[in-house]
Amino acid sequence: MCSSLWTEKYRPQTLDEIVNQSEIVSRMKKFVKERNIPHLLFVGPAGVGKTTTILALSRDLFGPSYRNFVMELNASDERGINVIREKVKSFAQTAAISPEVPFKILIMDEADSLTSAAQHALRRTMEIYTKTCRFCLIGNYSENIIEPIQSRCSVFRFSPLSEQDLKGRIRSISIKENLQLLDEGLDAIYEASAGDVRKAINLLQAAAAVQGGVIDDVSIYSVLGQLNPTRIREMVKLCLKGDFLEAREVLRSLLIEEGIAAEDILKLLYFEILKSDIAEEWKVKLSDTIGEVDYRLTQGSRPEIQLSALLAKLTLAGEEMHR
Amino acid sequence: MRNEPVSWTIRFRPKNKKEIVDNKESVERFLSWMKSWVNGIPEKHSVFLYGPPGVGKTSTVLALARDLGFDVIEVNASDYRTSKRLEEIVGRSISLSLTVTGKRRVILFDEMEGISGREDEGGISEIMKIIKESRIPVVLISNSIQENWEKFLPLISLSELIEFNSIPFKDVLNWLRDVSTKVGVKVEEEALELIAERSAGDLRSALNDLETVAGGRTQVTLEDVIILGDRDRQTYTHEALMKIFSSKSVKEARQVISSSYINYDELFEWIYENIPYVLNDPRDLSEALNHLALADIFEGRANRTQNYTLIKYMFTLMTGGVALSRKHSDGTGLYRRLESRLLNLGLPPNSFKISDSPRGLSVKPSRYLGNDWRRINETIRKLGGYWRKTEKIWFLPYFRNPQYLPNLKRTWYIRQARDTLIAKISKYCHVSTRVALVDLLPYLKIVFEKDEMMAREFSRLFELNDKEENYLKS
Repeated sequence: MCSSLWTEKYRPQTLDEIVNQSEIVSRMKKFVKERNIPHLLFVGPAGVGKTTTILALSRDLFGPSYRNFVMELNASDERGINVIREKVKSFAQTAAISPEVPFKILIMDEADSLTSAAQHALRRTMEIYTKTCRFCLIGNYSENIIEPIQSRCSVFRFSPLSEQDLKGRIRSISIKENLQLLDEGLDAIYEASAGDVRKAINLLQAAAAVQGGVIDDVSIYSVLGQLNPTRIREMVKLCLKGDFLEAREVLRSLLIEEGIAAEDILKLLYFEILKSDIAEEWKVKLSDTIGEVDYRLTQGSRPEIQLSALLAKLTLAGEEMHR
Repeated sequence: MRNEPVSWTIRFRPKNKKEIVDNKESVERFLSWMKSWVNGIPEKHSVFLYGPPGVGKTSTVLALARDLGFDVIEVNASDYRTSKRLEEIVGRSISLSLTVTGKRRVILFDEMEGISGREDEGGISEIMKIIKESRIPVVLISNSIQENWEKFLPLISLSELIEFNSIPFKDVLNWLRDVSTKVGVKVEEEALELIAERSAGDLRSALNDLETVAGGRTQVTLEDVIILGDRDRQTYTHEALMKIFSSKSVKEARQVISSSYINYDELFEWIYENIPYVLNDPRDLSEALNHLALADIFEGRANRTQNYTLIKYMFTLMTGGVALSRKHSDGTGLYRRLESRLLNLGLPPNSFKISDSPRGLSVKPSRYLGNDWRRINETIRKLGGYWRKTEKIWFLPYFRNPQYLPNLKRTWYIRQARDTLIAKISKYCHVSTRVALVDLLPYLKIVFEKDEMMAREFSRLFELNDKEENYLKS
């Protein structure tokens, strides 16, 4: 069995290889044919082919050495707009120009995580370098992208893969990897991935690592079980038991040792509470609290404090439930 | 015979730009502003350097002035700052860009937070006047610009603002190590770490501590540093916390902020760390932490909008808001935690006795403990206590040090490995580090646990080093 990271190994390299999103792909092919693209804005959920599409377009446009003409930035990893500006500037000014295409492409992933101030600055940058550099902004929601940027971009909405497309893709990978993937296993993958190909392929590969040749629904569920954020559950349990201090220690280790972002912890915590067996009316009350904390995280400067306040509320809920 | 001893803070004060520790960006900004005086008079006649104590604000000014050949006219809190006195000191020097001998000069107003409204009457407006008229650079320095925002506002609007930040733990540690090598004292690594940790990014206090334990000796152990204690700062902090947690009114609790002994950021961390021990009833706890979370939000807004008049709401919420949340608690959180931890060890109940002492809990062995001593010691150390050799008791202070910095320090190596690992994955898979961490890392961990061959292949693919592999296996 050949092992490498399957999500990369089976990432479509050209627009022709992309099976889903056919309408978008045909528009992209037209751009390639005309050797010209507008600024692009790709929105849609995770794992539906947004990055794949722009990388494939770049390869089709610039040929195998496309890496020379494309820069990938990730908005959530670049600290300030100044860093972005500097990088864009030096890329637009210094990188080589392809003989056939008069511009380069800058891919900005997770653009919807930029603050609106940063987006306004980005918009200026887009204008200044528009002659030599096209931007492809990628995000989950277009609502988080400011109007002036949206109006300068052609917007493309990616949807989750259909059951048929996703299953077909997974099936073909399993054949190439010599796996015996049973129908129940494939169903379980589809259920768990909800149209996210990256997640589906990762599940398949992890199941192959755990189980070897034959994969059924049990092997998929066992992988999912190991993926579950057990420490988040532990934290919730400690609160409901009244041990805030221990819960805070777990929180600290999640934030610092494991390095999980506060927003992600909150999201996982929310799912955990919805799934748990606490009284339904409390789930409603806690949703209100969690929603408020979600907003406060964007306002404050110490994420741990905001999450701790939530844990204290949860501890209080635990006590009132037992009463 | 040796020369008269010079204190280490003076001996190791940076002599040029190269010797300044950290805050590189701020130092560069200050340097380019100073340089702009060489060819004329820049738009802003003054800079305002601000930041916590002991991070090199004054040292930067002195070192760069020396590099660039400026003389420094220094005015600090010990000068009586009425407008009359200021005029006498500064006098006519501001009206000429060079002295008669052709030397350049810079005026330094240090310790600006010490200007008081009443005694130094007219001080601020005189400084404003000096700035406006000056033909030589004027430098203002203060620890706490946020707390004094309204008082300083006229000066702030005239000046270029340059912030100095706390020195990261790693750099304090490395620097202390250099110093101890230079003075020829062998200091245990753990002792250096404890000094660095206690300094909370304040290089001067770290150096003072090192000098106190190492001066005139050849060897220093961890024990020496533990005994030294956090000195006055610690005492003050404990008193401040005691006051906040026992106040019955907002006014009383809020007074703690106005002291300059501890900055509010640090105080905030102390309060946060200790709330659950003191406010041990869940109702109080939830209310107090909610107030603290709101305080954090006001600080966030003040920082984002640069409107520091909002800070006053933070101060009220973090002190009065916490004090008045105490309605049902009996304050036995620490006692109970200690007791339950010790009971968990499964020792006979007559092994020790816990009692209150003025500043903390003491645990006295009531029989010969033998090997159990080590287990109890470990448990108490984890809670922030230590063994007092002379009294033969363990002492656990009522208030626990903020854990944020120690946690960062403790986990430094593991976080290093994690971060480089995540960077490799995110680059290879075209995703952000956040997605790599939350969505991809868990799969890799499964692979590393279950499939050695695939794991080896991944190691090769991502070019992982041993540390990163160990991280995935753990």
